Amino acid sequence: MQNLTNLTKEVGVKKGNLPQQSAPSRNRSHMPDNSLFFEKVVPALLVLMGIVLVGLVLFAAGVIFGIVHF
Amino acid sequence: MSINQVLPFLSTLVMLVFTVYVLQRFFVRRAPHFLFWGIGLAMFGAGSFAEAYLSLAWNPWVFFVWYLFGAALNAAWIGHGTLSLLVRKPWVHAITAILVVGSLYAGYLMLQVMPKLDTAIFTTAKPISEQYGTKVLDPGQTAPVGAKTVSTTYRGEAVTAVRGLLPLGSPVRLTTPFFNIYGLLTLVGGAIWSAYLFWRKRVLPNRVIGNVLIAAGALSIGLASTLTRLGNGQFLYLGELFAAILMFIGFRFAARPQPNEVAQPAIAAAD
Repeated sequence: MQNLTNLTKEVGVKKGNLPQQSAPSRNRSHMPDNSLFFEKVVPALLVLMGIVLVGLVLFAAGVIFGIVHF
Repeated sequence: MSINQVLPFLSTLVMLVFTVYVLQRFFVRRAPHFLFWGIGLAMFGAGSFAEAYLSLAWNPWVFFVWYLFGAALNAAWIGHGTLSLLVRKPWVHAITAILVVGSLYAGYLMLQVMPKLDTAIFTTAKPISEQYGTKVLDPGQTAPVGAKTVSTTYRGEAVTAVRGLLPLGSPVRLTTPFFNIYGLLTLVGGAIWSAYLFWRKRVLPNRVIGNVLIAAGALSIGLASTLTRLGNGQFLYLGELFAAILMFIGFRFAARPQPNEVAQPAIAAAD
């Protein structure tokens, strides 16, 4: 048990010694907070593109089933 | 030189650089999705080059390349690359086999129709996208100015049709929507899904933006192709150039290395 406690302490110390991710690195790998682009524009674009995608697929399906003549 | 002659050359140039960029990655990493993307992008580039050529002169085999690679197959192959990246399951190999067999079959159908091409209607004055298909006119509908028409029997009915290079009811034209549906769903759907995953986890904004650009580029060519089917082929070349540029920029964005990247289940258009 004592060994386990010592081990935990050791790991804890080692974890504490781990270098923290630098602020610029985090900024580049995470989305910026309170960004209008990422909060509003991106989801709107994703939804819009999803709707257009469905429309195009339905059109192509219409061609296959002879509903849309070409 | 008209804009219709310049745009396909520009698209060809962009796709050439894009294809080399992707295939280089395949030769370094040996990941199959890079190969599928490379094949699809090379088909896209070949189709663009064929368009550029056909705006200057006629050649039946250049038309073969344009229709088979440019109109029918390229989206499916690019999209299959995205599927291979996102889904690491054995059934993807079966889809690969179906895609290969389907592509060969489309090539066979295209070869069958080659001797029947109505080459008399070809002109360099119009984009090839406005000349390739024979279109039945609805009752009361008039043919566009300058279009050549033919009265014929189609599916047991007497019809008047605007003549095109491919004869009425060519089986190869029926294969195109299958490839394009698959290509749209996998390429655009895969990019939207990947962008959503990164957006939801609030990580790797470059991959969110990259995938949004890839989806937008693929949709622009999808929309232009649909408009072409509806008889408005003048937007196709612009749509292709938009697609080439947006997808290349999107790919570069998504592939940009990140410091301390977070492990993700799906990294479309990156790796």
